[in-house]
Amino acid sequence: MVEINKNAEEKIVVKNLKKNFGKAEVLKDISTTVHKGEVLCIIGPSGSGKSTFLRCINRLEDITAGQMIVDGVDITDTKININKIRENIGMVFQHFNLFPHMTVLENITLAPVELKKMTKDEAKVRAHELLERVGLKEFADRYPSQLSGGQKQRVAIARALAMNPDIMLFDEPTSALDPEMVGEVLNVMKDLAQQGMTMVVVTHEMGFAREVGTRLIFMDGGYIVEEGDPREVINNPKEPRTINFLNQVL
Amino acid sequence: MNIISFLGNVQKFVPRFLAAFRITIELAVISLIFATIVGIIVGLINTSKSKNIIMRFLRILCNVYINIIRGTPMLVQILIIYYGIPQFLGFRWVDLGGMFPASVVVLTLNAGAYMAEIVRAGIEAVDPGQIEASRSLGLSYGKTMRRIVLPQALRTMLPSIINQFIISIKDTSLMSTIGLAELTNVAKTINANWSSATLALYCYLACYYLIICLSLAQLSKFVERKMSYGRD
Repeated sequence: MVEINKNAEEKIVVKNLKKNFGKAEVLKDISTTVHKGEVLCIIGPSGSGKSTFLRCINRLEDITAGQMIVDGVDITDTKININKIRENIGMVFQHFNLFPHMTVLENITLAPVELKKMTKDEAKVRAHELLERVGLKEFADRYPSQLSGGQKQRVAIARALAMNPDIMLFDEPTSALDPEMVGEVLNVMKDLAQQGMTMVVVTHEMGFAREVGTRLIFMDGGYIVEEGDPREVINNPKEPRTINFLNQVL
Repeated sequence: MNIISFLGNVQKFVPRFLAAFRITIELAVISLIFATIVGIIVGLINTSKSKNIIMRFLRILCNVYINIIRGTPMLVQILIIYYGIPQFLGFRWVDLGGMFPASVVVLTLNAGAYMAEIVRAGIEAVDPGQIEASRSLGLSYGKTMRRIVLPQALRTMLPSIINQFIISIKDTSLMSTIGLAELTNVAKTINANWSSATLALYCYLACYYLIICLSLAQLSKFVERKMSYGRD
């Protein structure tokens, strides 16, 4: 197996990625590179393939063709141990997906303890640190059902960070939240970006993309239609499809 | 006056009823333990998405089994297993311990098929997002099943499992047709010799089933209340 290179300058390299669901071609030809510390935001209409693309990065979706190289390892190779790669990639979902039968603390300590990255006590200390970082240090012993949407999503971020990943994927992290809770989640993500985390964010939050994003990709119909500096793309889109989409959402 | 004569004589056959009750309970408990094991194994095979050729074959086999059991009456299953199969394969149930082991086999196979469907439905009812979240953290399929899916599936399955226990306990009465000395069979025998209080006698018989099944139904309600996480 190829060695995982955590210090790779090119964290994610995508070459001619294709993804089909049966006969439907969802991703037709995607190529891009995400460098260390970059905050790549992906926008686009629903059905454009942006979530599918994100899910290909940790192979939650099997890749039909092309290459996906994460930390120097081509994850389309079926011989690699995908679980090892995933330990290094945190993921945050639209619907939080917290484990309802575990407390907040157990949600966060599960993976590091189960995968023998930390002892139980180390994981607990780390979990309390992370909860403090996302502003929820009083909530360790609650169950997910006792939290608001914004709190759940912040716990989900803490859970993903518990494995000390160096890439974080966000799949529309604020789309299922009440408007007044969007800010608290975006603030946590902003902190994370400022600390140099490599992030790929599928989002509808143009404000976040403009302020925090270092690069923006507009996807439509399974292709990258336009890509560049977020302020530049949002303020002066070149492609008609981008202009059309931005007119609808802004 | 039948009831009064029944109540006057009831202590005469209480020991026979208690002995039969014990057989009924033993049959139900042993069969349901085996059925639960069968159900979990078959249910796990049916929910695995492995493309491995052996797993595919096993899945087909398990589906055939479940469909045969669900599509035929239990009485017919008893006739096939107690009379049909021994004749075809050339053995006698008497040599294997008689009617009791035969009854265990029938009840295990019958309840096992329903249990497998309960297990499958329980696993499939777990939100796929739960599996994705666990896998995205780097946990393997096995660890995800053990730590995330099965604990949640068990909670939705428990009421259905207890319901299946209730159904199977009532089904033990069908073993009277092959002569197993369980509750219903003993009541029929007593009635044949003492037919003046048939209604009272059979109502007395029904009480035995009622007591077990109603207590299990209570347990099911209790379990359902205890099921919700952190919503007390």
